[in-house]
Amino acid sequence: MIEASLSVAQEEFSFNLEEFEKKSLSWGGYAEIKLAHAKVNKNSAFALLDSHGNPRVSLDRFTATLQLDGNYNKEIVSLNWVVQAYGSRDQEQWADEASIFEAYASIKPTPLASIDLGKKVFKWGKGYAWNPVGFINRPKDPNNPEESLEGYIGASLDLIKSFSGPLQTLALTTVVLPVQDNINEYFGAPDNVNLATKLYLLYQDVDIDFLLFTGNSRTTRYGFDFSTNLATNFEIHGELAHTPRQSRKTLNADGSVEIQEVADTSYLLGLRYLTENDITFIIEYFHNDDGYSEEEQDSFFHLVDDADDLFETTGDNSLYTKSASLSEGGFGRSQSGRNYLYTKITLKEPFDLLYLTPGITTIINLDDNSFSLTPEAVYTGFTNWELRLRFSMLAGSNFTDYGEKQNENKLELRVRYFF
Amino acid sequence: MKKMFIFLIVFLISGFSGICSAQAAELDGTAILSQVDKNLQPQSYEMYRKLINIEPDGTKKEFVLYSVKKGQDKMVALFLSPASEKGRSTLRLGDNMWLYIPNVGKPIRITSLQSVVGGVFNNSDILRLDYGSEYDALSIIQEGDAYLLELKAKTNAIAYDSLKMWVDVKSVVPTTIECYAASGMLIKTLYYKKNKDFGDGLVRPSVLETDSPLYKGYKSVMIYAKIQKKKLADEVFSLNYLARVDELR
Repeated sequence: MIEASLSVAQEEFSFNLEEFEKKSLSWGGYAEIKLAHAKVNKNSAFALLDSHGNPRVSLDRFTATLQLDGNYNKEIVSLNWVVQAYGSRDQEQWADEASIFEAYASIKPTPLASIDLGKKVFKWGKGYAWNPVGFINRPKDPNNPEESLEGYIGASLDLIKSFSGPLQTLALTTVVLPVQDNINEYFGAPDNVNLATKLYLLYQDVDIDFLLFTGNSRTTRYGFDFSTNLATNFEIHGELAHTPRQSRKTLNADGSVEIQEVADTSYLLGLRYLTENDITFIIEYFHNDDGYSEEEQDSFFHLVDDADDLFETTGDNSLYTKSASLSEGGFGRSQSGRNYLYTKITLKEPFDLLYLTPGITTIINLDDNSFSLTPEAVYTGFTNWELRLRFSMLAGSNFTDYGEKQNENKLELRVRYFF
Repeated sequence: MKKMFIFLIVFLISGFSGICSAQAAELDGTAILSQVDKNLQPQSYEMYRKLINIEPDGTKKEFVLYSVKKGQDKMVALFLSPASEKGRSTLRLGDNMWLYIPNVGKPIRITSLQSVVGGVFNNSDILRLDYGSEYDALSIIQEGDAYLLELKAKTNAIAYDSLKMWVDVKSVVPTTIECYAASGMLIKTLYYKKNKDFGDGLVRPSVLETDSPLYKGYKSVMIYAKIQKKKLADEVFSLNYLARVDELR
């Protein structure tokens, strides 16, 4: 038994390494409860659309979540899994779901190569809130960008080579992603096998990725991203994605729905900056070429307004049905506009309060100046517990992105226990 | 006889002063710093450490890390405990540092002055490279049974602009290091304690304590339980490998 100990201020600390010996089977996870009180923006487009003209004043929701993860290792093979189940209750309904986020076998004959087979999450791109080059990523929530996401079923090969000189690392990741009726069916058009690849270079202290997606489930797209430190406390990053052909459902001024084929060039520029007094700034500008212009969003919100008038006066819900279809087709995405600015400011351990991190996040739609503002405080002082209190408010005039979201504000307490 | 006695005295005095000046000339800060690095850790090794953050009221938070290092500028650390941090890993390649969080699923760049564990130790303390690879020895003097080295960061990408390092003359390992910002402000003091035989000829302090005027009343402690040589491929120190570090154990 290897053991070390010392005395600090008459206190004895011990370190028994046997507790941390590697085992073939390793598992962990977290249990979480979340209490949320939301004030509904009763006249907003998405509140009307959700309730066909009769939204609630507020909604109280209780959610319990359990996530289990683990792996089993035997020589060069490991089996890895992440599963999550949740149940939530509010005044309207009970909802529950259990999902396998990841379940894959990994074969690692050398440190230079690995093969993964099964369901696995890919999170490509350098952006914190958005990833225009994340061609095989699940879309993440910019308000919770660090949460687990569900993967896709496929096979991937990872090759790494290190060098001395200005090019320090070269790595190639290739992913084969089939889409069938019961396999990755939400990814895109079925009965296709798609290929995604990422070439990574660490060149003169700059992380660089070249990305490609091709296959018939989605159109071919090309990407580039980078990240580097300009100083010990100052990092910059960026992403550029180009899709030569992209279908896009939009609403014309006369109310007709049109499927357009467009070329899409989206990009993101961001920075992280740490001040001397431990304030971290994450700032990102995102141009979403696939998003809707201020005029297009305005037309959609007016359509929902007309749908409500029609339903109220005649009981005819045809415009609601049309609006719902457009919402699913793109207008209902959490950020469906063209240009956004994301800012997250966190202050680590203010006033010598160890493990407390207050912060504030804003997302501004730069075209219509509507925004969300989210102050929060995270406390991790109790071992394996994380407490987060967060208040979100959304603001904007009528017929703007955040002015027409379902909620006006939301207070949320999340308690998470890791094991 | 009297002349001969005077000659002998003069000879002895001049001889003694010659030895003294030769000793002074032999004090080479760069060589001592190189020996300090050699005595603290092998060139390629694995290591287990426990970090303890102690608050003024005595509340403690503990972290256990597994680390591997190769050459002068490559290091990876994996969190084994507590459960909330398990699986997180940090990579350092020269001045570049990344943090991998399993849930986030991709490495993000971090800075040397931040701390992934909270408390007084920052990332550069946890992923510390050889002192000689980051600092130049500006001067060295002997104070009793310790050498005092004044060290200056080679570039402005290093966490601390300058260090004052007291080195035990006999064992040639540090005992106390004061870390200063470019403004001259004392950021923290590191105390190396409790020399221990880790095997294979490695005898070095097994405890590192730190306190800081910026965190009054707080203290952080690092306990080293195992340090041993290990052959490692260069590819282990890459972003693509960060999710696999546990395989090295």
